[in-house]
Amino acid sequence: MKYAYFISCINESMTKELDIAFEKWKTDLGIELVKLEEGTCCGGSNLDYVSPKHCWTINARNIALAEKMDLDLVTSCNTCLLSLRHAKHDLDTKEGLKEQVNELLAKDNLEYTGKAQIKHLLWVLNEDFGLDTLARKIKTPLKDLKIAPFYGCHILRPSHLMGVDDPNAPSSLHQLIETLGAQTVPYASANKCCGFHTLLVAEEESLNIAANALEDGIRSGADYIVTPCPLCHTSLDLYQNKALKSRKNLPKNSIPILHLTQLVGLALGYSKKELGIDKHMIL
Amino acid sequence: MEEQKEISFRIYRYNPHFDKKPYYDNIRITLEKGITVLRALNFIKENIDSKLTFRAFCQAGICGSCGLKINGVSKLACMTQVFKELEDSKEENVILIEPLNNFTIMRDLVVDMDPLVEKLKYYYSWVNPKMPVHELGKKEYLISEEKFQEYDQATDCILCASCVSECLMMEVNPNYISPAVLLKSYRMNVDERDSMQKTRLKKVTSDGGVWDCTHCYKCVEHCVKNIDIMKGIQGLRNSGMKTVSKRSEGAKHAKAFITDIKRKGRLVEFTLITRTLGFIKPIFMLPMMIKMLLRRRVPPPSFMMSEIPRIEKVRKIFRKLKKKNF
Ligand code: SF4
Ligand code: SF4
Ligand code: FES
Repeated sequence: MKYAYFISCINESMTKELDIAFEKWKTDLGIELVKLEEGTCCGGSNLDYVSPKHCWTINARNIALAEKMDLDLVTSCNTCLLSLRHAKHDLDTKEGLKEQVNELLAKDNLEYTGKAQIKHLLWVLNEDFGLDTLARKIKTPLKDLKIAPFYGCHILRPSHLMGVDDPNAPSSLHQLIETLGAQTVPYASANKCCGFHTLLVAEEESLNIAANALEDGIRSGADYIVTPCPLCHTSLDLYQNKALKSRKNLPKNSIPILHLTQLVGLALGYSKKELGIDKHMIL
Repeated sequence: MEEQKEISFRIYRYNPHFDKKPYYDNIRITLEKGITVLRALNFIKENIDSKLTFRAFCQAGICGSCGLKINGVSKLACMTQVFKELEDSKEENVILIEPLNNFTIMRDLVVDMDPLVEKLKYYYSWVNPKMPVHELGKKEYLISEEKFQEYDQATDCILCASCVSECLMMEVNPNYISPAVLLKSYRMNVDERDSMQKTRLKKVTSDGGVWDCTHCYKCVEHCVKNIDIMKGIQGLRNSGMKTVSKRSEGAKHAKAFITDIKRKGRLVEFTLITRTLGFIKPIFMLPMMIKMLLRRRVPPPSFMMSEIPRIEKVRKIFRKLKKKNF
């Protein structure tokens, strides 16, 4: 299984451990990655309105780079997933857009054709690799762990651009966690928001959004919250102390947040240190 | 024979004048396939419990008054099939009926819409005509097909408030403008006949306005008329950035993306905070930054970030884009 791997800005800076963990086990599963070194930032769901034409063009270019290698493009960030899939949807459906963009890409010897699929790493594990196969690779089943799955918004919504999970009752992350031997706990925040995108412009409100999810997770009795998105991780881990300041009488003061890649790593037998779990703010 | 089923309606009940706290009623009725949730509620009111209180009028998805939470999701009672809903029920043959979220409950399934109406007023959710008063009603005011296309979809809104009920920013800030009012503001702002774009935009881009939307896409997902509300939200941001909201934190934050892609290819997170908030506000973030430093989670400063390979090509594309319009 070979893919082009999209480089997400945040994984190069604040959440390096996400890729560190992924690097550890990808070969155990026979996953081969070609990093999209020449790819640019996806625009972070901001560029869409600053300048739609820039957003279409850079993401057409990102996808074209993968197409040039004849590979599908995989990302491990929800917002990159949304930006890329959104651009792909427009390029494939808006009359004349693809041609206009390709005129520009031709200067870089690139062409967007639309043949590459854009996938989240979670989907690759569930669908391409398969959970049955994954179950056979497990070295340390996580049988004593209780996990609150936190999907984050942009892997679920808008669902017409995603189409894997039911946004009201998502199950893909639950299934993966249960395959790894852990238990999932029911709680109301699985498909809610982490508040990341407004952390700088509406801090108090965003922290409250994060705190709602954290409080739900803590009250569910989970040992960890697990998320497939580095932005959700940042909001829930880096800002956790600040977010939970407003909450009183919680059964415990904090809850550690794991990246999807770290949970898989634990089940495949790697240590917390190897997976960079000791780099988190909440341990 | 028609398909029939015995179904439990678990209905939220609350009369603030009498009840200490809300409770749920379980009402079992046998229904045929093809019945909507609204017809089931009407049946209950007429035959079982005349006190059950809810709003509805047109029964056709037009008036917007029957918005409810059905099995936890905000939608129109008159457009929701009972048998279809059963497929999503957590408990077999049970349908959960609750009032909309993010509103004060007046009684049972009826919520107080006044705050939403107040917001519609506050944000001037009407067309204030450019045409002089003495000409109004005497002359036609033609608009171009092209301009109309921009807001055609937005005019489908029936103000049912399903999106408001689902909005996650509303949950933490009841004063937040709300997706329905954002959509209305956009619709009015792109109307050629309107004369108060700037005034409206000023309000929409101030505190509690369009920059506070977290892009959670809940509103888009749950709009009962499938309106792309995000197009409106982003349209407002785009016009705001170009005019009255140039120097706002939201605009500065957004512009950083385009600058950085041109400069490095990737986002320079190290300075994103100061570029958005200036240098004063981030002082309060120092304790967190020190902790980040200790865990080596601080993003690299710009000078330590290398550009992506062949960035020259990206810059060239950007230069060409300047002259292009699509
Ligand atoms: S996308 Fe924005 S307006 Fe829509 S529900 Fe989310 S926060 Fe509210
Ligand atoms: S935008 Fe859609 S969901 Fe919101 S009030 Fe209008 S019709 Fe209802
Ligand atoms: S009763 Fe009018 S929209 Fe449902």
